[in-house]
Amino acid sequence: WRLWRCRCRALLSRPAGRLWARRGLAAGPEMHFGFQTVTEEERREKIYQVFESVAKKYDVMNDSMTLGIHRVWKDILMHKMNPSPGTLLLDVAGGTGDIAFRFINYVRSARERQLQRKLKHHQNLSWQEIFESYQKDKFNSLGDSQVVVCDINREMLKVGKQKAQHLGYSEGLSWVLGNAEELPFDSDKFDVYTIAFGIRNVTRVDLALQEAYRVLKPGGRFLCLEFSHVSNPLLSRLYDLYSFQVIPVLGEVIAGDWKSYQYLVESIRRFPPQEDLKAMIEDAGFFKVDYENLNFGIVAIHSGFKL
Amino acid sequence: VRCQHYPPLRALQASAALRRASDEHKKEPLTSSSQQHFDSPPAGPQPEQEPHGPRPSYTGQGGQESEDYESEEQLQHRILTAALEFVPEHGWTAEAIAEGAKTLGLSVAAAGMFHSDGSELILHFLSECNTRLSKLLEKEQKLVQLGEAEKKPTDEFLRHAVEARLRMLIPYIEKWPQALSVLLLPRNIPSSLNLLTSMIDDIWHYAGDQSTDFNWYTRRAVLTGIYNTTELVMMQDSSPDFEDTWRFLENRVADAMTMSNAASQVQSTGEAVVQGLMGAAVTVSNAETSRAVR
Repeated sequence: WRLWRCRCRALLSRPAGRLWARRGLAAGPEMHFGFQTVTEEERREKIYQVFESVAKKYDVMNDSMTLGIHRVWKDILMHKMNPSPGTLLLDVAGGTGDIAFRFINYVRSARERQLQRKLKHHQNLSWQEIFESYQKDKFNSLGDSQVVVCDINREMLKVGKQKAQHLGYSEGLSWVLGNAEELPFDSDKFDVYTIAFGIRNVTRVDLALQEAYRVLKPGGRFLCLEFSHVSNPLLSRLYDLYSFQVIPVLGEVIAGDWKSYQYLVESIRRFPPQEDLKAMIEDAGFFKVDYENLNFGIVAIHSGFKL
Repeated sequence: VRCQHYPPLRALQASAALRRASDEHKKEPLTSSSQQHFDSPPAGPQPEQEPHGPRPSYTGQGGQESEDYESEEQLQHRILTAALEFVPEHGWTAEAIAEGAKTLGLSVAAAGMFHSDGSELILHFLSECNTRLSKLLEKEQKLVQLGEAEKKPTDEFLRHAVEARLRMLIPYIEKWPQALSVLLLPRNIPSSLNLLTSMIDDIWHYAGDQSTDFNWYTRRAVLTGIYNTTELVMMQDSSPDFEDTWRFLENRVADAMTMSNAASQVQSTGEAVVQGLMGAAVTVSNAETSRAVR
């Protein structure tokens, strides 16, 4: 397994590698799609279709399935990241932009605090100088922070862009169409790489992790927010009950799409648990890899550094 | 150098690449399935010339280990040391650590390795100060041993040591109250107490304390009290070059000396009084006996 992976890594160097993913994989290795077994290409297509159909109702469904708790999870992720102004964030599978908007809010308030502190430092300046420093910093309310939202699905990006316009987010945002397994970015570019509830849908998680390693700057951080394994037996039973009985029904009622939400809960069960994902992240080359369970393991945040 | 580490040890790629200015050494990650003891190789391995490219080529497990291997702890130390120069501006916060990481060429996100309240930065600074103090006292002790300097009397030695240690706080004095409050967080109390006691122990050791009785505890407790109170006085001292603080320190050390003298005086006075009483009793009883005999 390792030898095959190493050879593939060698093939994936810039010139030749891009074609590899498409080269004759119609009869590729068997993969899971929920509880079904499909080939790699089929899986990619099916997942694309799932998100194409749920895109418009994605946020509504998130709220109803998790009873709004997903907002808290994403807030916790942002606090863990604690970005300072000037951070360049890549949000992969960021579709509708939840993480991106939170990032902008966080950085904006951090920047305000920074300016306040600078002002306190300079309390002996004249009025004129203070006013001039306002002008200089006014057009820099984000402190040069930027977030790039990358998603493989055009529909999700469309919904995200509409949301941004609606909520008034304009500066510091970029929307890029791209595949997590083959990012269209240069190496050593980003400070933080996040993937929230997206890595489960990536067909080759190891490739996505390697790409994450590649595009991060030295010292950069990898953060992954994902549904994970609940070890508590009682809670696990309740969670299973809720997942398999309630969620597809909600999907049918609210979004008119039973099968997509059936896929969702099945894919959660098939995804590797916390320790396995941690080992995969370490394999990709990250250091200080750790995870934090939220809600007893329903969701876990994995973090690693490119050192 | 043998380094033992859990989880398994791998050479840091990106930071090491940054440290080497021009060449293209890229370290290979070891397999994570087995914990391995890492030997840093002897000097002079053959450098691997790799093609210039945005991505390093992985050659599997047989990768060349490079000369200057660095562990995660060492990198963290370097970041914290670099962060210290930003403390006067940003305080003991994650922002100072982020700026420090930036000067090393790392991303600001590297500050995420540490707590957001800056505890590690403060503890790192404390241990650095203690190391510097030890080195200073050792150097002075050598001078005394070589006969080039005179041995100071205890109180002057203590004053000198505490003053030297407190002077290390001067560049950060504005933000030091913040640091003290962070050190009082329950999470940090074991480490900060540890550093404090080891520093006091060091000072007494170089002062020549060889007591093996309860004095050992009394002396350290007294010096800890002196150090802490002087530190607090220093926080709100605005005199030029902290003259008031050093005067306070002088008085406290003098008090301590007086007290120890007084204690021994009390003891000897007590003994003398007891002996006097005994003598008086013996005299009286002798007088009684002789009177009875007559």
